[in-house]
Amino acid sequence: MTAVYELKDVQFRFDGNLVLDIGYCSIERGRSVAIVGPNGSGKTTLLNMLAFLSKPARGYIKYLQVSVNDRNRGDFRRRVGYVQQNPYLFNMPVFENVELGLKLRGTAKKVRRRRALDILAQLGLENLAGRRAHELSGGEIQKVALARALVLEPEVLILDEPFTYLDKSSSFEFENFLTLARNGREQTVIFSLHDHIRAQVLADEVCSIIDGKLIRESSINLFHGRFSAETGCFDTGRMNIRLPGAGNSCRMIAVEPSQIVLSRAELDSSMRNSFPGRVTSMHSQGSNVHVTVDVGEKFHTVISGAAQEALKLGPGDAVWLSFKSNAVKVIR
Amino acid sequence: MNDFFTDSFLVALNLILGFDIELYYVVWTSLKISFSSILITSFLCIPLGLVFAFRNFPGKPVLQSILNTLMAMPTVVVGLLLFGLLGRRGAFGELELLYTQTAMVIGQCVLIFPIILNLVISAANTADPRIRSTSVALGAGRVQQLVIFVNEVRFAMMAAIVAGFGRAIGEVGVAMMLGGNIEGYTRTMTTAIILETSKGEFEFALALGMLLLLVAFVVNGLLEKFQKLNK
Repeated sequence: MTAVYELKDVQFRFDGNLVLDIGYCSIERGRSVAIVGPNGSGKTTLLNMLAFLSKPARGYIKYLQVSVNDRNRGDFRRRVGYVQQNPYLFNMPVFENVELGLKLRGTAKKVRRRRALDILAQLGLENLAGRRAHELSGGEIQKVALARALVLEPEVLILDEPFTYLDKSSSFEFENFLTLARNGREQTVIFSLHDHIRAQVLADEVCSIIDGKLIRESSINLFHGRFSAETGCFDTGRMNIRLPGAGNSCRMIAVEPSQIVLSRAELDSSMRNSFPGRVTSMHSQGSNVHVTVDVGEKFHTVISGAAQEALKLGPGDAVWLSFKSNAVKVIR
Repeated sequence: MNDFFTDSFLVALNLILGFDIELYYVVWTSLKISFSSILITSFLCIPLGLVFAFRNFPGKPVLQSILNTLMAMPTVVVGLLLFGLLGRRGAFGELELLYTQTAMVIGQCVLIFPIILNLVISAANTADPRIRSTSVALGAGRVQQLVIFVNEVRFAMMAAIVAGFGRAIGEVGVAMMLGGNIEGYTRTMTTAIILETSKGEFEFALALGMLLLLVAFVVNGLLEKFQKLNK
């Protein structure tokens, strides 16, 4: 696989303060990567840099193995589609907004009009073509902005907080819309958001950004299956997980690694999910130890260094894995 | 008194509706001079205002204060200063511009330059910051970014131009001091109103006053429309 981006020793300063400090990071071509972090953590700064809107104070960025510099930054910018947070639509009809990027690239009027209308039709937005920004809802603006980026057929699609300004139902709709938009395209997609679980659901890879530092996040435990109201369990096909309650339509759940307790013996506790299993792999990251346990399904867990001192776990060891039913989140 | 005003009003109305040539020639002169001034000033102020808003340079805040002060410059003071420069003994006396329409255009340009410039600067400063970043992200080059920006704030720019026109058409100091109120040449609506009133031709002055009000009304209507469209 080729790396579409490679960042090395990248630093970005704002008013003299270090807001981004990335030792090394590479993003593979064709992957979807979510950048998760709280407000002000540097997500937008990073995305602006990946979209070539700004340049790092130090370090280098390689785009498809070519070092980015002042001379080629503008060319690379045209190969990336960027939907900014709370996107802006120009004071012109939707179809003109969508074709603007092509117009800037000198595409003939007929061709760009056809391509703009094609992409709008493809995304089911043809009824918006003649409308203006102030006549659109937040969700519609977000979709038109995505169409405006996609019409350029960019190699990389970057979305900054696409869900922030959407209500719950619009968010869900936009999630599906994003999946639809990605269909048949082999773009690399990079997006930022707050929600770790949604990030895990939508992206191939999740990175956390904390105090300007980028950390690759291990997977959350996601399971597909069916919920039965009779038994109060979610059946993954390999095991049953107890939930506090869910509709019969529940098809996907998540268990956060930090909510899982590991023990050498079965615990006498209020936790309603307790399973015996074996450690399949482990590695330490900072002061924490990441342990994967097979209890029918593989669970990823995180324990502190102190807990590992006490438990002295090793690969192949028998272990009990427990978590409260409240630790289970229903995704959809 | 009442009868005098009513009678004069009816005569004035008659002059307007009867398309009195003398009356409309004065209106035409006024419009021609003010349109010329606005055209020249707009071409200067829009690019200058954008540069001022987007670039940082030493002395910018001081220059901004000076511009703010100049916005309220009395028209007679502009007339007076330019009279000194364009008059026979002035630095540009040789050009023999005093009491010509050109002198009036120059005077009005000086008068409305700070107004339009200031309004363009504030339009650029208060414009949505996403305009620029969005156009850059879409791959616009420097010139393209500027074109997109101007297009996006076009209604605010139009409002600035219309406000400048309102000031130019209604001013009297520059027209009087630099134009000299020469009949058929530099006589504008405002200077004619003063002259005709002092001559006792109240009806003619009133007709001009009504037409001036009409122009002001149209200008204001346009201003409101542009301001609404800019939102």
